[in-house]
Amino acid sequence: MQNVIEIDNLRKSFSVKIKGRKTIVEAVRGISFSVRSGEIFGFLGPNGAGKTTTLRMLTTLLPVDSGKAMICGYDLVRHAKEIRRHIGYVSQLGGADMEATGRENLLLQGRLYGMSRVDTEKRADELLDAFQLVEVADRIVRTYSGGQKRRLEIAMGMIHRPKVLFLDEPTIGLDPQNRANLWGQIRQLQKEGMTVFLTTHYLDEADILCDGVAIIDSGKIIVEGTPSELKKRISNDVIQIRLSRDKMQRARNLFEAISFINEIVVEGENIYLFVKDGAQVLPPIFELLNNNGLQMQSVTMTRPSLDDVFLKYTGRSLRDTKEWIA
Amino acid sequence: MKVVRETELFFMRRMIEQVRSPLWFFMGLINPLLYLVLFAPLLGGIPNVGRDGVADAFVPGLLALFALNSGTGIAWIVNNERTIGVIERFRVSPVSRLSLLLGNVLKDVVMFLITSLMVTVVSNFIGFHIHVLGLAVLFILLCLLTAIVSAACSGLGLIARDIGTIAAVVTGLQLPITLLSGVLLPISFGPTWLQVIAHFNPLYYVVEASRVLASGTLWNIKVFWAFTIMVLLLVVTISWATNIYRKAIS
Repeated sequence: MQNVIEIDNLRKSFSVKIKGRKTIVEAVRGISFSVRSGEIFGFLGPNGAGKTTTLRMLTTLLPVDSGKAMICGYDLVRHAKEIRRHIGYVSQLGGADMEATGRENLLLQGRLYGMSRVDTEKRADELLDAFQLVEVADRIVRTYSGGQKRRLEIAMGMIHRPKVLFLDEPTIGLDPQNRANLWGQIRQLQKEGMTVFLTTHYLDEADILCDGVAIIDSGKIIVEGTPSELKKRISNDVIQIRLSRDKMQRARNLFEAISFINEIVVEGENIYLFVKDGAQVLPPIFELLNNNGLQMQSVTMTRPSLDDVFLKYTGRSLRDTKEWIA
Repeated sequence: MKVVRETELFFMRRMIEQVRSPLWFFMGLINPLLYLVLFAPLLGGIPNVGRDGVADAFVPGLLALFALNSGTGIAWIVNNERTIGVIERFRVSPVSRLSLLLGNVLKDVVMFLITSLMVTVVSNFIGFHIHVLGLAVLFILLCLLTAIVSAACSGLGLIARDIGTIAAVVTGLQLPITLLSGVLLPISFGPTWLQVIAHFNPLYYVVEASRVLASGTLWNIKVFWAFTIMVLLLVVTISWATNIYRKAIS
């Protein structure tokens, strides 16, 4: 398969004023990755990691500081105009006209991409149907529910049959039902041959939906691969033990001496142990803690998720990073 | 041509939006009518003007003032569209940035024409003499003025942090421009220093020319200066605003 996106050492920094002093913030610090044609690619990371900045560079909205990016075979710096013809982009804000109907939004969008009136009308009907918007098509967007508006905006983003569709946090703010529906619709796009590039901070979303994943943190790609590859790279099982904070350091010292624990990550009141066979090592771990008078509050053992991948590489849990919920 | 077709799309989008919120249309119309009803009668007491000449002296300037104000509202609309992601959606598409701007400008010009023609008709009832040809040229001049303000405000709406900034800039400029234009009272009533500053005010030339044109004279030096200044300003504001639409705005 061919690569539709190839990024090499892309950088972007901003100059911001912090307490009256000019400071350079490096939002994206030399990232490289590629996306194959026809895949759903997840760009994963907490808020402020550089996801949206990267996306805005790739969609020609933000000039690149340095580095190279090829999108659909065009150079991002030199051929922004050609790239705009071949991509679709749905921002977090969406950006549908609130005072126009869904159908009007679709029709205008198609015409702006140079489609004929007849072609646009046909395509709009097709999309309204695919995204289950036929009933609300002639209502003003202001009256739409969150899920309806999001579906309309994704339909708008692909009215001109782009080769790559960029979605910035497509399921943010949607309830589980709507999220699951949207996943189905995104998979449908893939079946029609479209490449989908989406950012998300929901690990389960990337896990379920994406063929390829890159995890970004503080402007750097920390790991890249298919979800199953990434999970294989960490140990088979993750044991999460909850202890009070004052006991944490002692527990850590104890565990560090044990050979079957491959990796230890402490975060707040949780200690995570990456092990090969969780069921086998649980009894000796219990015993060890009991013998040393360390009372556990709870224990959970899980198959590794992408959250554990993130945890392993950053030392932080994405699940528990509070600021990204906002 | 691509730009023409895209401009038409953006213009129609704005007109549909306008038709759906008729309140703004009426608010825009009420403003000049209030001037006619509540301010024009005051001028009747001024010796130089005389009761008969009130409408002829005041209405042309009023139309100029109205042309100035007609282009300001777009700043708020554009700013809101930036906030909700509409502008970004357009900027990702291959549409020409110029047509994105011209859609706004044309809509403001058309709305100005519609409402100002209504004001002209009403003025006729209170004694304003209509010279068709002169008025036609006057409306061309005033459309240029509206276009300048509309282009400048379209740009302002994109770069302003929030609507508070827009309000400060727009009202901060509107008042001195209005006071120094001679719309409300002729500048020749004032002291020399006031007359000198007034010559730095583009609206002053428009108001001067508008009185000439409304009286039926189609061409003199005042009209020449007004057109020259308006065309120059139009080129400057359109280029400036297009450049803002072209540049990346975070």
